[in-house]
Amino acid sequence: MSFLTISHLEKSFGVTRVVKDFNLDVEKGEFISLLGPSGCGKTTVLRMVAGFESPSAGNITIEGREVSSLKPNQRNIGMVFQAYALFPNLTVAQNVGFGLRVKGVPAREIAARVEEMLALIGLPELGDRYPFQLSGGQQQRVALARALAPKPQVLLLDEPLSALDAKVRVSLRNEIRAIQRELGITTIFVTHDQEEALSMSDRIVVMHQGVAEQVGSPFEIYNAPATRFVAGFVGTLNTLDAQVLDPATGRVKLGENELTLGRAVPPGEATLGLRPEMLRLGAHPGEAALTGTITELDFLGSVIRLRIDLGGQKLAVDLFNTTRQAPPKVGETVSLALNPADALVIGA
Amino acid sequence: MTRAASWAILLLGITYFVLPLLGMVEFSLSMRRGEYSFDAYAAVLADPQFRQTFSYSVVMALLTIVFGILLVVPTAFWVRLKLPRLRPVVEFVTLLPLVIPAIVTVFGYIRLYNTSSWLPLTGTIFGTNLLLMFGYAMLSLPYMYRAVDTGLRTIDVATLTEAAQSLGAGWVTIIVKLILPNVLVAVLSGSFVTFAIVMGEFTMAALLNRPAFGPYLQLMGANKAYEPFALATIAFIITWACMGLIQLVTRFTKHDKAGR
Repeated sequence: MSFLTISHLEKSFGVTRVVKDFNLDVEKGEFISLLGPSGCGKTTVLRMVAGFESPSAGNITIEGREVSSLKPNQRNIGMVFQAYALFPNLTVAQNVGFGLRVKGVPAREIAARVEEMLALIGLPELGDRYPFQLSGGQQQRVALARALAPKPQVLLLDEPLSALDAKVRVSLRNEIRAIQRELGITTIFVTHDQEEALSMSDRIVVMHQGVAEQVGSPFEIYNAPATRFVAGFVGTLNTLDAQVLDPATGRVKLGENELTLGRAVPPGEATLGLRPEMLRLGAHPGEAALTGTITELDFLGSVIRLRIDLGGQKLAVDLFNTTRQAPPKVGETVSLALNPADALVIGA
Repeated sequence: MTRAASWAILLLGITYFVLPLLGMVEFSLSMRRGEYSFDAYAAVLADPQFRQTFSYSVVMALLTIVFGILLVVPTAFWVRLKLPRLRPVVEFVTLLPLVIPAIVTVFGYIRLYNTSSWLPLTGTIFGTNLLLMFGYAMLSLPYMYRAVDTGLRTIDVATLTEAAQSLGAGWVTIIVKLILPNVLVAVLSGSFVTFAIVMGEFTMAALLNRPAFGPYLQLMGANKAYEPFALATIAFIITWACMGLIQLVTRFTKHDKAGR
């Protein structure tokens, strides 16, 4: 049996169903991300696990114990919020020790645990400060320590990095993951940022319109998206309409170009998905070749993104920036190489 | 507008407000012919009725403040957290004491709670005092509720509550340890206004026949020359001391920049 099980979870606000038949099994110590656009229901799922929303249907069990009917303060779940939610009238140490004080833990044990938590988040000297005296990153670290101090069974992170600037976000996500691994705490992380989800998670649940579209490892989600939505939402994807010439061998026509995928595809029209980094400039032996004209060029630092017109269909291609080779020019006709195995045939 | 004109308007404003006060203080010091003295103040302070009514009103004010806090803080918190749609209704209800004269309210009280009613509060001194305290709390409701609600607006009530709940806290802990300390300045503002209202209130105390400071002020005003002005000066000093205390509390609240 899984550590945390969510079965057939539903949530409706009035006539609007925001979560539809959501199922998820989470193993102990696993880091799961709920990824999706705004309004997809990911936060609602998290809030139902926390107990802040009541499910319209379905069950949530932790270590075999049904918790759906328990109040939030009875669930032993730690939560970190986007807006930090530190108690303004308490110092950092008092914030971290709050959950333990509520539980009636002796003062000496609280002091020791607070010290341990502040050392864990790398802020051992800031115990006497008030929240307003801390930076955003420091406040979120304290919020994490506060959530972890009472040793919760499950840690819920509700877009904890969204309010931080880009550099702090990257460093803090690494810290959160390291702390999570060190403590081995089962964690559910809500984010709309695919990079965060891909870099931090053991598994990702991609949500769309209240439904879990795909559950899988970051590698699976990125390289083998199960639905058109997942393919389009995670990473950048070129979607190209193709005409199937031979369903058995997967020979398709893309504008003026023909391509053999080497696997069977449904007859008629097909939609192909090509990641920008899967395409290379020039001809390469053993790979399929496409020809197009460069219409735009964006210099992004480590990457140069080209927009290529492929017989009326637009295609993005990413090249690594290198000083040894000058970038191509807009208006130039180029040939592109593609390993047919990298092309995704996108379903509904 | 020139700098000189601004100063002129400011001075005019200050004169408008301060001159009557100076006149009042000056008159209160003029009891002894030909020289200034504190005779009027001494006469007032030596009057046992002053001490009795003043201490009665202070006690009533403190009880009203406690009752007001117990009533208003959880109500405003709950309305913000769970019933935001009812906010306009609750605000309207709290404003009613401003448009319903105290005399109407107190006659309503007397009709409802007289000795032949189902709850004869006016039958005992304790019951009448209780009724008067409820009346005072109602009179101060517009100020107390507004102050607390404004204080709650400066903190993220919903998220702080959820954070506390996720850490195992119940409602009492949340209100007493988190919400109240974070709106303390607002609560104190409302409390000092309540204090000032209770100290000067006449209608309810007079019609319920309780020995409060307001009726005493009226009695003195009707029968003495200098003492009422000494009393008015004392009342002003108390009010200003309350204002000063609000400022002091605001300044010394360490966490006042947080949670915005």
